[in-house]
Amino acid sequence: MANESLENGILELRHGVFVLAVLSRLDQEQYGYSLIKSLAEAGLAIDQGTLYPLLRRLEGQGLLQSAWRVETDRPRRYYVLSDEGRTFLARLKEEWTAIVSMMGKLL
Amino acid sequence: MNTNLIDNYVSEVGRRLPRKTRGDIEAEIRSILQDMLEERSQKAGKPVDEEMTLEILKAYGAPEKVAGTYLGDRYLIGPRLYPTFLLVMRITLLVIGILAAIGLGVAVYQTTLTPLSTTIQIILKANADFILSSFSALGSITLVFAILEWALFHAGKQVEFKGLPMDKEWDPHSLLKTSPSNVVKMSETILEIVGSCVAIVLFNFYPQIFTFGIFSNGDWYVGLGNAAASTLLLSEAFFHFVPYLTAVWVLTIILDIILLRLGHWNLITRICLIGLRVINIFIAALMLGAPSLLAITAASLTPALGSSEAAASLLNILNILVRVALGLAIFGNAVEIIRAISRLATNEIFPQFAGKS
Repeated sequence: MANESLENGILELRHGVFVLAVLSRLDQEQYGYSLIKSLAEAGLAIDQGTLYPLLRRLEGQGLLQSAWRVETDRPRRYYVLSDEGRTFLARLKEEWTAIVSMMGKLL
Repeated sequence: MNTNLIDNYVSEVGRRLPRKTRGDIEAEIRSILQDMLEERSQKAGKPVDEEMTLEILKAYGAPEKVAGTYLGDRYLIGPRLYPTFLLVMRITLLVIGILAAIGLGVAVYQTTLTPLSTTIQIILKANADFILSSFSALGSITLVFAILEWALFHAGKQVEFKGLPMDKEWDPHSLLKTSPSNVVKMSETILEIVGSCVAIVLFNFYPQIFTFGIFSNGDWYVGLGNAAASTLLLSEAFFHFVPYLTAVWVLTIILDIILLRLGHWNLITRICLIGLRVINIFIAALMLGAPSLLAITAASLTPALGSSEAAASLLNILNILVRVALGLAIFGNAVEIIRAISRLATNEIFPQFAGKS
């Protein structure tokens, strides 16, 4: 039970940073699978079931733009930050710094 | 590459998605799966085969689970409407229960001299009617709320990022303004809803229930329970007013449901109440000026009372009682209007005086 709670706690903590992490990687356009790999290489494992709906939601909110492009004989959907997304990311980074500083004092 | 497996998988996901976004999501999932297969193939150093494809699809997840991640949380009746839905359900059940009890009472009363088995049959039939009516009414309410939820869900999508309008409009300062006289009394309001529903059903669908009887010398002369001799209590002149009264009862129910949802009175609900009470006074005044609202005649009373003079006197008294009742109704509505205006002035127009009295 304690282990399950711990796993859920860690999962919730990670979920909290997904938006910031994903936006931080989309300064340059990327397609979904390359984004997953890029995040995994940085140490953040995010499964497809979470990432793709998240990308669509962020696009729906106007923070991302996407376009289909045909490469190596098959289409891929590329995502990149919109202008609104860039402003949003900058604001989120500030908030993140403040949270890290606050938590540093608390822990 | 086993494209057949991927096609089947993608279409399994797609058939669970809304038509509007289906094509786009299907194309995206196909593209992701192809990327995953390509990488797996490079790592394994062999071309994509069926086993590899199956592994990838297993890792990607069951189609219903994948579709679910795109759909988010969906409700037949969501948290926004659920409290109102529950309230309407409870009131409806209460009204149906009361009506069934009235119907059962009348049915049993009308068959007091029949064998017990027939009475039991009537009770069982009434119970069956109650259950069927409940299912039908509750089903209809659920359907209406489900449609409302669907409409709100689609309207809400437009403002998802900015927050729901109802969340934006909520101001905690309103809690400071709520004086005790503005708090809606639950029991009174529910009683009014139940009363209005019962009145709507009885006056519109069972007008024959309103009969008049006199029990004299061990026999019923006219009245309820004696179908052969029953006489309608209320006249045609009265039933001319029923559509107007029904409209007022329906509006009263709507106002009461809104009040139960809000939990407190505000400027608009007070004005609505005043409007309804004014209409009530107007209808009661018209009824006062109308021909007799009673259908009973002196002739129908004579056999029971023994003389036509006594019957005429009783009828006269009954007509006076009806007029007194209408006068009291006008007075009661006028008092409510004055009280509503006074509370409107104290709580809404001059809130600085609220709570000082």
